Amino acid sequence: MKSIGRIWNALANPKRIPRLFALVLGIILLTGFLVPFSLNDQQLYPRPEPQVQIDNHDPLAPYNRGGEPLKERGIVKAQYPENSVNLGKITSYLSPIAIQVKNNTIYYGTSIYSSPGGLIDEILYYTRGLDTILESTILMMAFVIASWVAIHFTMRRDE
Amino acid sequence: MDIATISGQLLGTIPLGDIVPYITPFNLFMFAGALTFTLLIAISRTETQVEAGFGSLKDREVKVGIKEFRIRRFLAIICGLATAGAMITGDLFNFTLFVALIGIVNIGIVSAVKQIDVLDAAFQYGLIAMMASLPLFGGAALVLASTGTLSLFQLSQATFTPVMVTFASVLLILGVAGETGVAPFYATKAEMFRTPGSPFILIIHLSSLLVIVRTIEILLIINKPF
Repeated sequence: MKSIGRIWNALANPKRIPRLFALVLGIILLTGFLVPFSLNDQQLYPRPEPQVQIDNHDPLAPYNRGGEPLKERGIVKAQYPENSVNLGKITSYLSPIAIQVKNNTIYYGTSIYSSPGGLIDEILYYTRGLDTILESTILMMAFVIASWVAIHFTMRRDE
Repeated sequence: MDIATISGQLLGTIPLGDIVPYITPFNLFMFAGALTFTLLIAISRTETQVEAGFGSLKDREVKVGIKEFRIRRFLAIICGLATAGAMITGDLFNFTLFVALIGIVNIGIVSAVKQIDVLDAAFQYGLIAMMASLPLFGGAALVLASTGTLSLFQLSQATFTPVMVTFASVLLILGVAGETGVAPFYATKAEMFRTPGSPFILIIHLSSLLVIVRTIEILLIINKPF
Protein backbone atom coordinates (compact mmCIF):
# COMPACT_ATOMS: atom_id res chain seq x y z
CA MET A 1 0.00 0.00 0.00
CA LYS A 2 2.88 2.31 0.71
CA SER A 3 4.10 2.12 -2.88
CA ILE A 4 0.66 3.02 -4.26
CA GLY A 5 0.61 6.07 -2.04
CA ARG A 6 4.01 7.00 -3.41
CA ILE A 7 2.69 6.74 -6.98
CA TRP A 8 -0.29 9.00 -6.14
CA ASN A 9 2.04 11.51 -4.57
CA ALA A 10 4.22 11.49 -7.66
CA LEU A 11 1.13 12.05 -9.82
CA ALA A 12 0.12 15.05 -7.72
CA ASN A 13 3.09 17.07 -9.00
CA PRO A 14 1.92 19.11 -12.01
CA LYS A 15 5.42 19.11 -13.53
CA ARG A 16 5.39 15.34 -13.94
CA ILE A 17 2.00 15.18 -15.66
CA PRO A 18 3.02 16.33 -19.20
CA ARG A 19 5.89 13.81 -19.18
CA LEU A 20 3.55 11.03 -18.08
CA PHE A 21 1.05 12.00 -20.76
CA ALA A 22 3.76 12.10 -23.44
CA LEU A 23 4.98 8.66 -22.36
CA VAL A 24 1.48 7.13 -22.51
CA LEU A 25 0.85 8.80 -25.87
CA GLY A 26 4.14 7.53 -27.27
CA ILE A 27 3.47 3.95 -26.20
CA ILE A 28 -0.04 3.99 -27.68
CA LEU A 29 1.15 5.54 -30.95
CA LEU A 30 3.88 2.88 -31.25
CA THR A 31 1.32 0.09 -30.78
CA GLY A 32 -0.59 1.72 -33.63
CA PHE A 33 2.01 0.36 -36.05
CA LEU A 34 0.86 -3.17 -35.20
CA VAL A 35 -2.81 -2.47 -35.98
CA PRO A 36 -3.92 -3.75 -39.41
CA PHE A 37 -5.12 -0.87 -41.54
CA SER A 38 -7.00 -0.77 -44.80
CA LEU A 39 -7.99 2.44 -46.51
CA ASN A 40 -11.67 2.66 -47.36
CA ASP A 41 -11.96 3.21 -51.12
CA GLN A 42 -15.50 4.62 -50.90
CA GLN A 43 -14.13 7.85 -49.43
CA LEU A 44 -16.45 10.72 -48.74
CA TYR A 45 -13.86 13.33 -49.70
CA PRO A 46 -12.08 11.78 -52.70
CA ARG A 47 -8.80 12.96 -54.16
CA PRO A 48 -7.03 11.93 -57.38
CA GLU A 49 -3.86 9.87 -57.08
CA PRO A 50 -1.06 12.22 -55.96
CA GLN A 51 0.99 12.42 -59.18
CA VAL A 52 -1.67 11.88 -61.88
CA GLN A 53 -2.53 15.55 -62.50
CA ILE A 54 1.12 16.62 -62.29
CA ASP A 55 2.14 14.05 -64.91
CA ASN A 56 -0.65 15.35 -67.18
CA HIS A 57 0.86 18.88 -66.95
CA ASP A 58 -2.36 20.24 -65.51
CA PRO A 59 -1.71 23.88 -64.43
CA LEU A 60 -4.02 23.44 -61.44
CA ALA A 61 -2.41 20.20 -60.23
CA PRO A 62 -2.75 18.65 -57.73
CA TYR A 63 -6.08 20.21 -56.76
CA ASN A 64 -8.04 20.38 -60.01
CA ARG A 65 -11.62 19.28 -59.43
CA GLY A 66 -12.93 20.11 -62.90
CA GLY A 67 -16.23 21.84 -63.60
CA GLU A 68 -17.15 25.28 -64.91
CA PRO A 69 -18.46 28.06 -62.63
CA LEU A 70 -22.28 28.14 -62.41
CA LYS A 71 -22.64 25.77 -65.39
CA GLU A 72 -21.01 22.43 -64.79
CA ARG A 73 -20.46 20.77 -61.42
CA GLY A 74 -16.95 19.85 -60.30
CA ILE A 75 -16.10 16.64 -58.49
CA VAL A 76 -17.14 17.33 -54.90
CA LYS A 77 -18.97 14.69 -52.94
CA ALA A 78 -21.19 15.40 -49.97
CA GLN A 79 -22.47 13.16 -47.23
CA TYR A 80 -25.93 14.70 -47.45
CA PRO A 81 -26.36 16.10 -51.00
CA GLU A 82 -29.88 17.27 -50.11
CA ASN A 83 -28.36 19.78 -47.68
CA SER A 84 -26.01 21.32 -50.23
CA VAL A 85 -28.03 21.75 -53.40
CA ASN A 86 -25.56 23.91 -55.33
CA LEU A 87 -22.53 21.80 -54.52
CA GLY A 88 -19.66 21.91 -57.05
CA LYS A 89 -20.96 24.87 -59.02
CA ILE A 90 -18.34 27.41 -57.97
CA THR A 91 -15.45 25.11 -57.12
CA SER A 92 -13.53 25.99 -60.31
CA TYR A 93 -13.90 29.77 -60.01
CA LEU A 94 -10.60 31.59 -60.67
CA SER A 95 -9.83 35.28 -60.24
CA PRO A 96 -8.36 37.10 -63.30
CA ILE A 97 -4.87 36.99 -61.75
CA ALA A 98 -5.18 33.27 -61.15
CA ILE A 99 -6.25 32.75 -64.79
CA GLN A 100 -3.18 34.70 -65.98
CA VAL A 101 -0.86 32.61 -63.81
CA LYS A 102 -2.56 29.43 -64.94
CA ASN A 103 -2.09 30.29 -68.64
CA ASN A 104 1.59 31.13 -68.22
CA THR A 105 2.99 28.34 -66.09
CA ILE A 106 2.10 24.85 -64.93
CA TYR A 107 4.01 24.98 -61.65
CA TYR A 108 1.79 27.28 -59.57
CA GLY A 109 -1.15 24.98 -58.76
CA THR A 110 -0.56 25.08 -55.02
CA SER A 111 -0.10 28.87 -54.99
CA ILE A 112 -3.28 29.44 -56.99
CA TYR A 113 -5.14 27.13 -54.66
CA SER A 114 -3.92 28.82 -51.49
CA SER A 115 -4.55 32.39 -52.66
CA PRO A 116 -7.93 34.08 -52.24
CA GLY A 117 -9.80 33.86 -55.51
CA GLY A 118 -8.06 30.64 -56.43
CA LEU A 119 -9.91 27.37 -56.52
CA ILE A 120 -12.66 27.46 -53.95
CA ASP A 121 -12.66 24.53 -51.58
CA GLU A 122 -16.34 23.84 -51.21
CA ILE A 123 -15.67 21.14 -48.64
CA LEU A 124 -14.26 23.84 -46.38
CA TYR A 125 -16.72 26.61 -47.11
CA TYR A 126 -19.92 24.80 -48.02
CA THR A 127 -20.42 21.25 -46.85
CA ARG A 128 -18.25 21.55 -43.75
CA GLY A 129 -18.61 25.27 -43.13
CA LEU A 130 -19.22 24.92 -39.37
CA ASP A 131 -15.80 23.27 -39.02
CA THR A 132 -14.14 26.26 -40.66
CA ILE A 133 -15.94 28.66 -38.33
CA LEU A 134 -14.82 26.62 -35.33
CA GLU A 135 -11.21 26.44 -36.50
CA SER A 136 -11.00 30.21 -36.83
CA THR A 137 -12.74 30.58 -33.45
CA ILE A 138 -10.04 28.43 -31.85
CA LEU A 139 -7.37 30.59 -33.46
CA MET A 140 -9.11 33.80 -32.35
CA MET A 141 -9.43 32.59 -28.75
CA ALA A 142 -5.73 31.68 -28.74
CA PHE A 143 -4.89 35.22 -29.87
CA VAL A 144 -7.26 36.75 -27.28
CA ILE A 145 -5.59 34.81 -24.47
CA ALA A 146 -2.06 35.44 -25.72
CA SER A 147 -2.59 39.18 -26.16
CA TRP A 148 -4.30 39.51 -22.76
CA VAL A 149 -1.42 37.73 -21.06
CA ALA A 150 1.13 39.81 -22.98
CA ILE A 151 -0.55 43.14 -22.17
CA HIS A 152 -1.26 42.50 -18.50
CA PHE A 153 1.57 40.26 -17.34
CA THR A 154 4.44 41.22 -19.62
CA MET A 155 3.92 44.92 -20.37
CA ARG A 156 2.20 46.12 -17.16
CA ARG A 157 4.02 44.21 -14.51
CA ASP A 158 3.28 45.33 -10.94
CA GLU A 159 6.59 44.31 -9.42
CA MET B 1 -24.91 0.88 -30.94
CA ASP B 2 -27.91 2.47 -32.57
CA ILE B 3 -28.49 6.15 -31.78
CA ALA B 4 -32.09 5.46 -30.73
CA THR B 5 -30.97 2.71 -28.31
CA ILE B 6 -28.35 4.76 -26.53
CA SER B 7 -29.79 8.26 -26.42
CA GLY B 8 -33.52 7.86 -26.99
CA GLN B 9 -35.93 8.81 -29.71
CA LEU B 10 -34.64 11.06 -32.49
CA LEU B 11 -36.51 14.37 -32.19
CA GLY B 12 -35.01 16.08 -35.22
CA THR B 13 -31.88 17.22 -37.01
CA ILE B 14 -30.36 20.60 -37.86
CA PRO B 15 -29.09 20.42 -41.47
CA LEU B 16 -25.85 22.41 -41.80
CA GLY B 17 -24.35 20.86 -44.92
CA ASP B 18 -22.48 17.69 -44.06
CA ILE B 19 -22.53 18.49 -40.37
CA VAL B 20 -25.92 17.47 -39.08
CA PRO B 21 -26.42 18.04 -35.34
CA TYR B 22 -29.15 15.78 -34.06
CA ILE B 23 -31.50 16.19 -31.14
CA THR B 24 -32.41 13.33 -28.84
CA PRO B 25 -33.69 13.65 -25.26
CA PHE B 26 -30.21 12.74 -23.95
CA ASN B 27 -28.37 15.32 -26.07
CA LEU B 28 -31.07 17.95 -25.60
CA PHE B 29 -30.85 17.64 -21.82
CA MET B 30 -27.08 18.12 -21.80
CA PHE B 31 -27.32 20.95 -24.36
CA ALA B 32 -29.92 22.78 -22.28
CA GLY B 33 -27.94 22.12 -19.10
CA ALA B 34 -24.78 23.65 -20.56
CA LEU B 35 -26.69 26.67 -21.89
CA THR B 36 -28.47 27.26 -18.57
CA PHE B 37 -25.19 27.16 -16.69
CA THR B 38 -23.62 29.53 -19.20
CA LEU B 39 -26.48 31.97 -18.66
CA LEU B 40 -26.00 31.76 -14.88
CA ILE B 41 -22.31 32.53 -15.34
CA ALA B 42 -23.02 35.44 -17.66
CA ILE B 43 -25.13 37.21 -15.02
CA SER B 44 -23.18 36.30 -11.88
CA ARG B 45 -20.28 37.98 -10.12
CA THR B 46 -17.22 36.28 -8.71
CA GLU B 47 -16.77 35.07 -5.18
CA THR B 48 -14.43 36.82 -2.77
CA GLN B 49 -12.06 34.56 -0.91
CA VAL B 50 -11.17 35.39 2.69
CA GLU B 51 -7.76 34.25 3.89
CA ALA B 52 -7.50 34.04 7.67
CA GLY B 53 -4.15 35.05 9.13
CA PHE B 54 -2.67 32.83 11.87
CA GLY B 55 -1.76 34.43 15.15
CA SER B 56 -3.57 37.66 14.43
CA LEU B 57 -7.07 38.96 13.87
CA LYS B 58 -6.37 40.25 10.37
CA ASP B 59 -8.25 38.61 7.55
CA ARG B 60 -7.31 39.26 3.98
CA GLU B 61 -9.83 39.49 1.16
CA VAL B 62 -8.80 38.17 -2.23
CA LYS B 63 -10.88 40.03 -4.79
CA VAL B 64 -10.96 39.71 -8.55
CA GLY B 65 -10.28 42.96 -10.39
CA ILE B 66 -12.74 44.24 -13.00
CA LYS B 67 -10.43 43.62 -15.97
CA GLU B 68 -9.64 40.09 -14.91
CA PHE B 69 -13.32 39.56 -14.19
CA ARG B 70 -14.35 40.62 -17.67
CA ILE B 71 -11.89 38.49 -19.64
CA ARG B 72 -12.65 35.45 -17.52
CA ARG B 73 -16.40 35.91 -17.88
CA PHE B 74 -15.98 36.24 -21.65
CA LEU B 75 -13.88 33.08 -21.91
CA ALA B 76 -16.23 31.20 -19.58
CA ILE B 77 -19.19 32.07 -21.81
CA ILE B 78 -17.29 30.87 -24.90
CA CYS B 79 -16.43 27.68 -23.02
CA GLY B 80 -20.10 27.14 -22.12
CA LEU B 81 -21.23 27.68 -25.70
CA ALA B 82 -18.54 25.28 -26.99
CA THR B 83 -19.70 22.68 -24.46
CA ALA B 84 -23.29 23.11 -25.58
CA GLY B 85 -22.21 22.70 -29.21
CA ALA B 86 -20.24 19.55 -28.43
CA MET B 87 -23.36 18.07 -26.87
CA ILE B 88 -25.55 18.11 -29.96
CA THR B 89 -23.08 17.90 -32.84
CA GLY B 90 -23.57 14.92 -35.13
CA ASP B 91 -20.13 14.85 -36.69
CA LEU B 92 -16.97 13.35 -35.25
CA PHE B 93 -14.50 15.97 -36.50
CA ASN B 94 -16.83 18.77 -35.43
CA PHE B 95 -16.89 17.24 -31.96
CA THR B 96 -13.08 17.16 -31.74
CA LEU B 97 -12.95 20.82 -32.78
CA PHE B 98 -15.39 21.77 -30.00
CA VAL B 99 -13.24 19.82 -27.51
CA ALA B 100 -10.09 21.62 -28.70
CA LEU B 101 -11.88 24.96 -28.27
CA ILE B 102 -12.91 23.99 -24.72
CA GLY B 103 -9.31 23.02 -23.94
CA ILE B 104 -7.77 26.28 -25.09
CA VAL B 105 -10.44 28.43 -23.42
CA ASN B 106 -9.92 26.54 -20.14
CA ILE B 107 -6.26 27.55 -20.22
CA GLY B 108 -7.32 31.14 -20.82
CA ILE B 109 -9.72 31.19 -17.86
CA VAL B 110 -6.95 30.34 -15.41
CA SER B 111 -4.11 32.15 -17.12
CA ALA B 112 -5.74 35.48 -16.24
CA VAL B 113 -4.93 34.86 -12.57
CA LYS B 114 -1.96 36.70 -11.08
CA GLN B 115 -0.59 33.86 -8.95
CA ILE B 116 2.67 32.24 -9.92
CA ASP B 117 1.79 28.71 -8.77
CA VAL B 118 -1.45 28.81 -10.71
CA LEU B 119 0.25 30.13 -13.83
CA ASP B 120 2.82 27.34 -13.59
CA ALA B 121 0.06 24.73 -13.39
CA ALA B 122 -1.78 26.38 -16.28
CA PHE B 123 1.41 26.18 -18.33
CA GLN B 124 1.70 22.45 -17.69
CA TYR B 125 -1.96 22.00 -18.56
CA GLY B 126 -1.35 23.92 -21.77
CA LEU B 127 1.47 21.55 -22.67
CA ILE B 128 -0.86 18.58 -22.22
CA ALA B 129 -3.63 20.26 -24.21
CA MET B 130 -1.21 20.85 -27.09
CA MET B 131 0.01 17.26 -27.05
CA ALA B 132 -3.55 15.98 -26.78
CA SER B 133 -4.57 17.63 -30.04
CA LEU B 134 -2.47 15.03 -31.89
CA PRO B 135 -4.41 11.93 -30.73
CA LEU B 136 -7.68 13.90 -30.79
CA PHE B 137 -7.54 14.91 -34.47
CA GLY B 138 -5.53 11.81 -35.39
CA GLY B 139 -8.30 9.61 -34.03
CA ALA B 140 -10.94 11.41 -36.08
CA ALA B 141 -8.72 11.23 -39.19
CA LEU B 142 -8.20 7.48 -38.74
CA VAL B 143 -11.96 6.96 -38.44
CA LEU B 144 -12.45 8.88 -41.70
CA ALA B 145 -9.70 6.91 -43.46
CA SER B 146 -10.94 3.48 -42.46
CA THR B 147 -14.71 4.02 -42.71
CA GLY B 148 -14.89 6.79 -45.32
CA THR B 149 -17.26 8.99 -43.32
CA LEU B 150 -17.37 11.21 -40.24
CA SER B 151 -21.11 11.47 -39.79
CA LEU B 152 -22.32 9.73 -36.64
CA PHE B 153 -25.54 8.68 -38.41
CA GLN B 154 -23.57 6.85 -41.11
CA LEU B 155 -21.13 5.40 -38.58
CA SER B 156 -23.99 4.05 -36.46
CA GLN B 157 -25.38 2.20 -39.49
CA ALA B 158 -22.10 0.43 -40.33
CA THR B 159 -22.30 -3.34 -39.97
CA PHE B 160 -18.85 -3.98 -38.53
CA THR B 161 -15.98 -2.05 -36.95
CA PRO B 162 -12.51 -2.17 -38.52
CA VAL B 163 -9.71 -2.76 -36.00
CA MET B 164 -8.33 0.67 -36.85
CA VAL B 165 -11.53 2.33 -35.62
CA THR B 166 -11.07 0.66 -32.24
CA PHE B 167 -7.51 1.98 -32.14
CA ALA B 168 -8.78 5.42 -33.19
CA SER B 169 -11.24 5.24 -30.28
CA VAL B 170 -8.33 4.71 -27.89
CA LEU B 171 -6.63 7.76 -29.39
CA LEU B 172 -9.84 9.78 -29.04
CA ILE B 173 -10.13 8.82 -25.36
CA LEU B 174 -6.53 9.87 -24.78
CA GLY B 175 -7.08 13.15 -26.63
CA VAL B 176 -10.23 14.02 -24.70
CA ALA B 177 -8.54 13.00 -21.42
CA GLY B 178 -5.69 15.38 -22.18
CA GLU B 179 -7.81 18.30 -23.37
CA THR B 180 -10.24 18.15 -20.46
CA GLY B 181 -7.67 17.03 -17.90
CA VAL B 182 -9.26 13.96 -16.31
CA ALA B 183 -7.48 11.50 -14.01
CA PRO B 184 -4.63 10.55 -14.00
CA PHE B 185 -3.73 13.82 -15.70
CA TYR B 186 -5.72 15.78 -13.17
CA ALA B 187 -3.01 17.34 -11.01
CA THR B 188 -2.38 20.27 -13.35
CA LYS B 189 -6.04 21.22 -13.17
CA ALA B 190 -6.42 20.67 -9.42
CA GLU B 191 -3.80 23.35 -8.88
CA MET B 192 -5.82 25.77 -10.99
CA PHE B 193 -8.96 25.40 -8.86
CA ARG B 194 -7.36 27.15 -5.92
CA THR B 195 -7.75 30.50 -7.61
CA PRO B 196 -10.45 32.98 -6.63
CA GLY B 197 -13.35 33.47 -9.04
CA SER B 198 -15.62 30.52 -8.41
CA PRO B 199 -18.29 30.47 -11.13
CA PHE B 200 -15.78 30.77 -13.94
CA ILE B 201 -13.67 27.97 -12.57
CA LEU B 202 -16.73 25.73 -12.32
CA ILE B 203 -17.38 25.86 -16.07
CA ILE B 204 -14.06 24.01 -16.49
CA HIS B 205 -15.46 21.24 -14.31
CA LEU B 206 -18.83 21.15 -16.03
CA SER B 207 -17.37 21.14 -19.54
CA SER B 208 -15.06 18.19 -18.76
CA LEU B 209 -17.90 16.21 -17.20
CA LEU B 210 -20.30 16.75 -20.11
CA VAL B 211 -17.60 16.15 -22.73
CA ILE B 212 -16.59 12.85 -21.11
CA VAL B 213 -20.23 11.67 -21.09
CA ARG B 214 -20.63 12.67 -24.75
CA THR B 215 -17.34 10.95 -25.68
CA ILE B 216 -18.57 7.71 -24.17
CA GLU B 217 -21.81 8.02 -26.15
CA ILE B 218 -19.88 8.61 -29.40
CA LEU B 219 -17.52 5.70 -28.75
CA LEU B 220 -20.50 3.40 -28.13
CA ILE B 221 -21.99 4.60 -31.42
CA ILE B 222 -18.92 4.02 -33.59
CA ASN B 223 -17.77 0.71 -32.06
CA LYS B 224 -20.08 -2.04 -33.21
CA PRO B 225 -19.82 -4.91 -30.68
CA PHE B 226 -21.52 -2.78 -28.05
